[in-house]
Amino acid sequence: MVEKTPDTVTIERTFPAPREVIWRLWTQPEHFASWYGPEGSTVSVVTMDVCVGGTRVVCMEVLTPQGPKQMWFTGTYLEVAENQRLVYTDSMTDEHGRVMTSEELGMPPGHPTTTEVQVQLESVAGGTRMVVTHVGIPEGSPGAIGWERAFDKLSDRLNATRSE
Amino acid sequence: MGRYFTDRLYSHLAKYGAGTATTTDDRLDATFAALANATRRAMLARLVRGEATVNELAEPFQLSLPAISKHLKVLEKAGLIERGRLAQYRPRSLNPGPLEEVSTWAEQYRPVWEGRLDRMNNYLERLRREDKDA
Repeated sequence: MVEKTPDTVTIERTFPAPREVIWRLWTQPEHFASWYGPEGSTVSVVTMDVCVGGTRVVCMEVLTPQGPKQMWFTGTYLEVAENQRLVYTDSMTDEHGRVMTSEELGMPPGHPTTTEVQVQLESVAGGTRMVVTHVGIPEGSPGAIGWERAFDKLSDRLNATRSE
Repeated sequence: MGRYFTDRLYSHLAKYGAGTATTTDDRLDATFAALANATRRAMLARLVRGEATVNELAEPFQLSLPAISKHLKVLEKAGLIERGRLAQYRPRSLNPGPLEEVSTWAEQYRPVWEGRLDRMNNYLERLRREDKDA
């Protein structure tokens, strides 16, 4: 219990496909959109600039009793080692890229609003072993504040680009 | 995430309720602060095996007893450990409650990822079939 880092989820799978194929499923918009969202949702990849520091904006539309609802996820690629390792941040944002607070999400304060996704690929007999680690960065923690600043900068830049 | 995520939001609200938010926040802060130290994590790991006296807890570390007792106070304040009633030895024991609380919000992503990776697998199969057909 204590050995396990409490703010991390690790999932391991082996797929009967080469690493190159799995890599494409994560990094090519049309592939990613095909599997990421749950049943009944539509995922559209707005931006997927797969390079260190590159931006990632994903929109997920879900049907609710009140009609379709769009959810936005914004992040930055932190590590890009082709066919081997992909690390990016992921935050639920509004349509302008502003990170939503846990209160707006209806979560208890301190709930991570920014998370980091790490994908590790390894060739094994018969396919690829994939380890996905999802790390929560608690709201208000130094990490989260850092990312929020980065996102502020990013959204400023986006706004500046739009008004140009 | 979609439907599942929304369900989660409601279950969280139900679990934590309105008004206890600040307390939850403080508690999570205290838990994370307490866990952000290797000595304290090692002490918790020791207590997983059963209760221990302060001397037993201090044994593996080259630290003064006041330093050890400071670490124990942090763990106690975070509610991660409890003091026994045996006045003379006052053995410490583990209280798993706060740890379960912090693991909840990470663990809630597990089923989300299981679902995603199931779909990834199905999608791969579809790609392979289409490739064969082509």
